[in-house]
This record gives sequence, C-alpha cells and structure tokens, in this order.
Amino acid sequence: MIMEQKTLVKILSAKQITIQNPLCEDWMENPLSYADDYVRAVDPDFKQFISAGDARRMGKLLKRALATSLSALQEGGIENPDAIITGTGFGSIENTELFLDALVREGEQLLKPTQFMQSTHNTASSLIGIHTKCHGYNSTYSQKGLSFDSALYDAWMQFRIGRIKSALVGSHDEMSPVFSGFVRKAGHVKAGEICSEAAVSVLLASGGDNAYCTLEGVKLLDIPSEDILSKVLADLTAGGIDSVMTGMSGNPENDSWYGFLDTLLPGVPQLRYKPLFGVNFSSSATGFYAAACCLRNGRVPSVLTTDGKAIKCDNGILVVNVVEGRHYSFSLLKPCGK
Amino acid sequence: MSQGKSVLITGCGILSAIGQDCGQVLDSLLQVRTGVGALKYLKTEHTEFPVGEVKLSDEEMERLMGIAPGSPTTRTALMGMIALHEALGQAGLSRDDLKECGFVNGTTVGGMDKSEQYYLDFIENDSRNAYISTHDCGSCSEMIADRFGRFKMITTISTACSSAANAIEMAADMIRLGEADVVVAGGSECITKFHLNGFNSLMILDHEQCRPFDAGRAGLNLGEGAAFVVLEEASHAAARNAKALACLSGYGNACDAFHQTASSPDGEGAYLAMSKALKTAGLKPSDIDYVNAHGTGTPNNDESESQAMLRVFGKDLPPVSSTKGMTGHTTSASGAIETVICILALRNGFLPVNYGFSNPMENGIVPNMDLNRGCKLRHVLCNSFGFGGNDSSLVISAVE
Repeated sequence: MIMEQKTLVKILSAKQITIQNPLCEDWMENPLSYADDYVRAVDPDFKQFISAGDARRMGKLLKRALATSLSALQEGGIENPDAIITGTGFGSIENTELFLDALVREGEQLLKPTQFMQSTHNTASSLIGIHTKCHGYNSTYSQKGLSFDSALYDAWMQFRIGRIKSALVGSHDEMSPVFSGFVRKAGHVKAGEICSEAAVSVLLASGGDNAYCTLEGVKLLDIPSEDILSKVLADLTAGGIDSVMTGMSGNPENDSWYGFLDTLLPGVPQLRYKPLFGVNFSSSATGFYAAACCLRNGRVPSVLTTDGKAIKCDNGILVVNVVEGRHYSFSLLKPCGK
Repeated sequence: MSQGKSVLITGCGILSAIGQDCGQVLDSLLQVRTGVGALKYLKTEHTEFPVGEVKLSDEEMERLMGIAPGSPTTRTALMGMIALHEALGQAGLSRDDLKECGFVNGTTVGGMDKSEQYYLDFIENDSRNAYISTHDCGSCSEMIADRFGRFKMITTISTACSSAANAIEMAADMIRLGEADVVVAGGSECITKFHLNGFNSLMILDHEQCRPFDAGRAGLNLGEGAAFVVLEEASHAAARNAKALACLSGYGNACDAFHQTASSPDGEGAYLAMSKALKTAGLKPSDIDYVNAHGTGTPNNDESESQAMLRVFGKDLPPVSSTKGMTGHTTSASGAIETVICILALRNGFLPVNYGFSNPMENGIVPNMDLNRGCKLRHVLCNSFGFGGNDSSLVISAVE
C-alpha cells in the first residue's frame, strides 16, 4: 500500500469555449440564452493563440482545444505541464464526417489524409503536447459523457502516485449539423436540451498562488448499488459541502438519474449548468468549470439555480455527473484553505 | 515515486489473425505462422492490401458469444467479448466478482465498421438508428463489459495504436493506489474501410507481406483483434488462490511531441517511455531479456524505434522482434495483443520471431529470427506507439 499523504491538488485556472462568451466568465452575470436546440460554440479570435497558417489546417475542435489550453496555461503560469490528459466523446467529428461521407458517397480512391489524421481522438492531446513541447504523460479518454471525468480521474491518480506536479486536463467536443441529428436519434441529447459544443481546459497543480479552488477527490462508478452510492457520498461529503453541481437539464428522463441526491443528500441545494452550456459529450467539463468559477468568486450566480435563492460557497461543491443512468462520477471541489 | 501494491496478471485472453485463444496463438508463434493474407471479411475496393483478419465472420462471433442475430453490435465489440471471455475464465472470475473489478478498454475505431455501412441510413431514415449508439468508443467498451456482468467502473482510452497499452497502465495505477483490487484492461479493434483508407491515404500500407526492421520494408499490414489481461493486486490474488501468470513490474507513458503521424528521428518519446518503464520496474537495461517492438514495418517507425532502443540499451540490446508480421498491426488492440504474446513467451520459454525480416536496415537493429526454445526469460519489454507520439512501454516479468 502506498503510504499516501494527503494529496494537494489546486485548480490554477479553468477556461472554456462553449455557447457562452469564450474564455471569460461573462456567463455568471450576463448569460447568453438560445431558442434553437442546436447551437455551435462562440469562437474567440484564435489569432492570439494560433498562426493563421496553422489554424487553416486545424478543425474547430483542435483550435478550441489549443486556445483553451494555452489560455489556461498562461493564466496558471505554467508553460510545460507534467501531464496532458484529454477527454472527448467523438473526437474531431467534422473531419471524421468529411472522410466518412467521401468514403461512402465517392468511394475509396480520393480520400484526404488530413481529415483522417484529425479523426483520431488523441489529436487534441498530442497537438497540445507538440505545441508546448511536453514529453510527459499524455493520454486521451473517450467514454461518452464520462470522458472528461475519466481524464480528471487519471490526473487525480497521477498526482496521488507522485508522478506529476501539474496537469492540463481538458475535454473537447465539436458537433456538426449532421451529427447533431445523429445524437438526437441516439438519445445522447434529449428533448428540451440544447445540442451544443464545448472545449474546456483546466490546469491542476500541487502548488501555486491564486488558485480557484482545490480538488479533493474523484470517483467513477458504473451501475452502483444504493449502498455503494451512499458510502461514496458519505465519504466525499464528510467535511461538509454547500451544494451539488448536477447534470440536470430539465429533461425528465435525464433528471430522474439524479433522484438519489434527494435521498442521500437531503437539503443540499442542487445546481444545474446544462441549461447554460447545453449538452454534448464534454458537458461534464462545463459543470466542473462552473463549480471552479463559483469557488473562485466565492459565490454561486443565480443562473445556476432554479429558484434564484442565494447559496453559500464556503465549504465546497460536489460535482455529480450521471451518464445514461449508469456511469456516475463525483468530483469534490473546495475553496482554497479549507 | 512510490511503488504501491504489486500488480499481477492472473488471466489473459486473445483473439487475432494467428489464433482465437492463447493456445492457438502460442502454436502459431512457435510454428512462426503468419495470419496475414488476402482480404476475406472486409468489403473494400482495396483488395490489393494483405491484412491480418480474425478468421471469423461477425455472425460466427455472435454465435460464439450467444448474441441474438440482429442485436445491434459491432465487430470490435464482438472480438472484445471473445477475448474478455477467455481472460475472465482464465482468472476464474465469476459474474458476481466483476462488481469489484474495474474495466478499462482501448479502442479508436469503435463502431466505425457499422457507421460506414449505415451512414446514409443514419441520414436518410430511421432503419439503423440503433447503430448510431454503437458508433462511439465508449459504447464499444460497454457492450464488451455488459456481456459478462456489471463492473465497478468502466472507461475507454483512445490514444490510437497505444490505446490498449495505456489502458493497462491506467489499470495498474488503479491497483497500486488501492482504487480496485482487480482491473481488467486491454483493447479491441476491427479493420474498417475507414482506417484502411486512412492509412492508405497516408501511404503507409505495404502492398506485400510487411517486413518490420527490414531494409526493404515498405509499410504496415493492418490487422485486427482483441486482448485483455486481468491485473490483480498480489494479496488479493493469493487470498482467492488465483494463479499469477506474470507480473506487470513497470510501465511508462511519454509523448514524442514531434508530429501528428510521424515519429521523431531520435525516437525521443519511445526512449522516454522505455526509460520510465525500466525505472518504475527498478531494472537496468541489461535485465531485459526480450523486447517486443512496436515494429510496424513503416520506414519511419522502425528507424525511430531502432534509434530509441539503441539509446536505451546501447551494447546491451536484448533480442528484439516485432510480431506484426504475423498478426498485422492490430492498432488500438496491439498493446494488449503483444502483452499477451510476451506472457506466452515468458511462460513457455521462447523468443517470438520477427516474421518477414531478411535484410538488415542501415543504422537499425537486427531483429530476432531464432525461436530459441527452452530459453529462460525473466523480464520482457513491450512497446506500443501511437499517432500523435503517444508512446508507451510495459515491463512484464516472470513470477516464480
């Protein structure tokens, strides 16, 4: 058994490109709202991060992944993280679709290598590695809406095992018009939910100033029994929490998966981020990002609540994600110094 | 870095072009028999490329796994089920035991075999909607796992051709940290038109039998298959009298950080991955008795990997071989398939042969061509390198 000391992991920065204004926290006070049920991300000016020549060769996912990553590294004051760990449900689905479409409609003779290269899920993680010249631990997870959570879990283990002192953890999903139709048919995005895009990068480190908050634990479960859920929640909330950041969206089937919180964490306010950021395979990263922003600012904006009641931000937020009613993830964030 | 608990391998399962279980694969390795040949199962215009197909149709695999015909499934998932079935059986894990086990799968292609078949249906009608849900990598892992019960947790790694090796590394970390006592890890990948054409567009497919580390090598042959290993914490294995086949004594992951599809000339990522693996195992380069190279047969990989191995081992270079001349390049599954091959070599005392080699390349390593039956292997190194420079190495050691 590793004689483990308490692992200190700080969130030094967190950046998003989503359907809210990019690379900023405008959404806390002035959220953008949408009537459409398919909305693409609001892109920043990429020029500050990527040369025009490079940008032309990159799909949207790669540009956003690089921009959120470089922005997070810059704010956190780390140039070369020890680990780069990325989640993505579909990878660069636009290039995948272009290659697939040409293959199916035009046959197997004139297919483009750049589209194929970008279709591989690990292109974001490796692009960030190439751009930052980081030769350290580099991995990519692709487990539907649990992709970010899996990447975060891996990073958490890397810190605990003592292999790294910093990690850039991100999750990136883009959504083409064609695949937005597919994910509706497959039920990945449900009635009443906005099918969206998200790129989120979070910089974690075992030290550093001006951190947003600290990460106290990450847990992944598949089809847990009520007993296991109860034990995991009791362990994670032993030090007290103020609220739970849930993946509830307003869709009854999706929201029913979070019913256990009423029983196991009665009276704990439940926040929701999906109405603001929409739904995609990287959604849970937006929830984690929103929770980190709340703790950084010491307050929960009313846009995350259903009733506008004031919610404290003193003890911590438990981020809970349930995918398809079977995959569960829990990550506990605490204010610095708690 | 703290070592934590030791990680045993108490079960393995494999399905590949050279056999549909450990026994058949062992036999092929000992007979030096290739599974690479003319295309039979994949429907493609590119019949000119030799491939290492698993010699079973989807329907045959469905029958083997008791899957009702017409149930939405994919070739990658079916292959994964067959390999997982063998691994769980060998480890003596029942359906009930899985509740305490993690499952980490590696795949990149996922359900692309069905997506490329039904893509127009997805767009134009609702007849194949069930297969939209099998497109992504994660659903593939769920299908494989769900065939056998409920695991404690499931996730999927997608780092291209090092996916399965990274799945094994993550699983080992979970055990060392006490996150689970047993984690089943590996990977599965079928050949699809999508990546056959992708590799073809990159001009890295050989039109003939591939020749890793040969002067005349001209690319890789795609293969397919699946393999899983059961990683188990030592005292847990002892408590249930599970027999250890080998132990995972070290592992390393590094990024070449050079190019999305090419390896650096000095093999920096590969060098770092191997060095980290040796370091975590607490071994010197001279302790390694055999290296199962990534050895794809592309001019770039074999040159870069040669440089990396020469940097790590210097004059102590042990016998090295690529087994991809027999299995084909099984992409995301290759790390697990070659881990199982390493375990078979350790347990049966032989050195896998580098099928396809005849002429040494300039500045390259000269691969092993002698089975050397009866040799005693203590520690072997297994390399898996992926696009994007996702390089990983595992050290697998004999147990007394």
